[in-house]
Amino acid sequence: MDKILAKKDFPRWLGALGAYDVYAPQLIDDVWNYELAAKPKAVSLDYPQTAIPAKKIVFPQREFFFEFREADTDDYKLKELLPEEKPTVIFGVRPCEGKAVTLTDLVFGGEIKDDYYWKRRNAAVLVGLACATPPTTNCFCLSVNGSPHSKEGLDVLMTDLGDQYYVEILTDKGKKLVSEGGAIFHEAKPPDKKAAEKIHADSEKKLARELKNIKDVPAKLKGMFASPFWDDESMSCIRCGICTYLCPTCHCFDINDEVESQTPLAGRRVRTWDTCQFPDFTMHSSGHNPRPDKAARLRQRINHKFQYFVEVWQNYQCTGCGRCITLCPVGIDIIKVVEKVRDHAS
Amino acid sequence: MTEEFEPKIVAFLCKWCSSAGSDLAGVSRMEYPANVIPIQVMCSGSVSPLYIFEAFNRGADGVLVSGCHPGDCHYIKGNMYARRRLLLVKKLLEHLGLEPERFQMSWVSAAEGQKYTQVIKELVKELKPLGPQTKLRRERNG
Amino acid sequence: MVKHEDVRAEAKKLLESGKVKYIIAYELGADGWKANPVFIKKPEDVDKIIWGPTCFHNLVRFVVDEKRRKVQQKNPDTRPVGVVVKGCDSRAIVILLQEKFIERKDVHIIGVSCEKTGVIDERKLANKLKGRKAKNVEFGPDENFVVTTEEGAVDLPASEIMADRCLECIAHVPVITDVLFGEKTKRTVPHPFGSVEKIETLSSEDRWKFWSEHLEKCVRCYACRSVCPMCYCDECVADTITFAVSPDTTAEEKAQKIKWLDKSPVISENIFYHMVRAIHLAGRCIDCGECERACPVNIPLRMLNKKLEKEAKLLFGYDVGFDPEKPALISCFRDEDPEDFIR
Repeated sequence: MDKILAKKDFPRWLGALGAYDVYAPQLIDDVWNYELAAKPKAVSLDYPQTAIPAKKIVFPQREFFFEFREADTDDYKLKELLPEEKPTVIFGVRPCEGKAVTLTDLVFGGEIKDDYYWKRRNAAVLVGLACATPPTTNCFCLSVNGSPHSKEGLDVLMTDLGDQYYVEILTDKGKKLVSEGGAIFHEAKPPDKKAAEKIHADSEKKLARELKNIKDVPAKLKGMFASPFWDDESMSCIRCGICTYLCPTCHCFDINDEVESQTPLAGRRVRTWDTCQFPDFTMHSSGHNPRPDKAARLRQRINHKFQYFVEVWQNYQCTGCGRCITLCPVGIDIIKVVEKVRDHAS
Repeated sequence: MTEEFEPKIVAFLCKWCSSAGSDLAGVSRMEYPANVIPIQVMCSGSVSPLYIFEAFNRGADGVLVSGCHPGDCHYIKGNMYARRRLLLVKKLLEHLGLEPERFQMSWVSAAEGQKYTQVIKELVKELKPLGPQTKLRRERNG
Repeated sequence: MVKHEDVRAEAKKLLESGKVKYIIAYELGADGWKANPVFIKKPEDVDKIIWGPTCFHNLVRFVVDEKRRKVQQKNPDTRPVGVVVKGCDSRAIVILLQEKFIERKDVHIIGVSCEKTGVIDERKLANKLKGRKAKNVEFGPDENFVVTTEEGAVDLPASEIMADRCLECIAHVPVITDVLFGEKTKRTVPHPFGSVEKIETLSSEDRWKFWSEHLEKCVRCYACRSVCPMCYCDECVADTITFAVSPDTTAEEKAQKIKWLDKSPVISENIFYHMVRAIHLAGRCIDCGECERACPVNIPLRMLNKKLEKEAKLLFGYDVGFDPEKPALISCFRDEDPEDFIR
């Protein structure tokens, strides 16, 4: 089921996707981000890593739940604002972000599904791009059960072979997307497959950073809850929120009512991203805050990713994309922190 | 037939001078445009930049802050602080690209009912051609 | 030339004598070439301290943290903290002293002069290196930096990779210190507000386009506010992430708390937040550039604050961050303050 697509034919595939909202990485003011491709034909996949991960498309920073309006009869009219399932494609999704989406799927799925998330998720086709070389100097996907060519969470995986792409179809959604391109795709031949496999194998050796031997970290963390270790590690944290907002697996949110008019009372209930790194994230209305200081909040972030999520979902809640390391204004490095936990004297 | 655009102006009027001046205009039956939503404050110096930003955020087409003449402030120096602080606000709004006519200040004393009507008339005349203020206004649901 | 050994020796002296609680300085980060803030508590650790062109952080932010910590302690250690400051950072200390947020005896100021250059801009360097990775960045002998990559060392003129604010710097030598390292060079900047003036030449509509396109990208991570030493309010009036409530706060007080803007990161709310921050920084922002550096989506935030710094100088003759005895910009006035804009 593997195909070959000549790079010069890539714009033709995009041109055939008029029925979809096409997102692709674009460079705006020196920052790469997934944006709606205004000119689908101008998309290029030659890019390192976006600042904001693909989660922003299936789990946008702000979405509406319902609108309310005071009616004449002393009652309220509520109207649910479920997102429409508009077919959406995201190109250039790095394997770490594909894996991250499988993790947020766990959280928003299960017995009680979050309809708002799933309407977008079901309508989204994720076209992955294998990492021939690590997009950043802080990538460490291999250390957290990921890989630069992982297929998890993706519907299609593209590998750059130079002047053509090796296209692996992974799901029915992916099959449909590729069929939109029609005859521009050719059957992949054994030499192509070998070339792709070589790129994949080589890419695993190129990761600059590793987080080794972390099997015992979850148990270690359990015993370090009250340790002064966290005070020292969090001293330079400025509690800005970048690490969590830009993490592909972080998914905490806040719900607010945004009132647009007082008479009649009308507005919308809105969900926005929130972060455990803001001091009031755990503020109780009594004034008590169980995580009153930076030490507690850093501990929370590391524990959630390397202990709690492992206990509940048997997965690290970290896919090794390195954004939190690259973008932290004061250089707090999750790899270093977890290594210190691993080596901490019990 | 299209209705002519009527700018909504939020005016922060200091209680001791400008608000009294606007009352004098009313009591003397002076005619002036009804575009103003007056908000009485104790002193022009008590007007926080947040009031002005919030007024624009809620859809005001123009904002006026009016206080006592220099030297006449009921709190001695309040209007002097306003003069400095609100000039900074004005410069910031213009830096962002908001039309300069939208935020203005005036000195109107309690005896200047006539001047108050003049200020409002000129303000409305300047704002009408600019149309509704959409740059800083919060979006509304349909 | 500022020598690491001199700074380390001073740090060692201070820690051994117990004169300071700890020292906030720069160390080499995990990547091996960029600096990171470090807190040196023991004399044995002073060898971590470095000084170089990647020391762009404003460490005075951690002096604010220390003060916050002290306020919450019953019997605080009243010794000062040592802090390494560049010229711009030292002006931040002046503002904190002006506002009486800290006392002079709370800090032991270890000044370093930027001499002929300043610090680099990471993004400019990455653009210059075009894919090559930096392994080391050092001050060159003249107005240049020596950057070592896997392909060897290359000389780069400061004007090409230096941070924007350094190109307009008016305080390359710290203005207040307990000890100073490096030469007190003389430097003049022909256009201290050149970058703002470029935006002022645009038409009103073009300026709006410039700002709305940039501020639309804002994700309200509040990194700009979190990294700023001047944004030390316990509760930010614009959008607070730290409700200053206690068990004694009444329900009525909580209900009457004003919500000035919505959490949604839409353009109107983003602009509101940035406007409030800019106006609250009028006469207090000392252009350390940290807000712009921390922003993950590259919004030119300096240009908002710098505009008001320029107006403070031009309209009111006010110099920001040089004299600890001076009153705050908006808590003083002159009889000759302009009023031609008032009807």
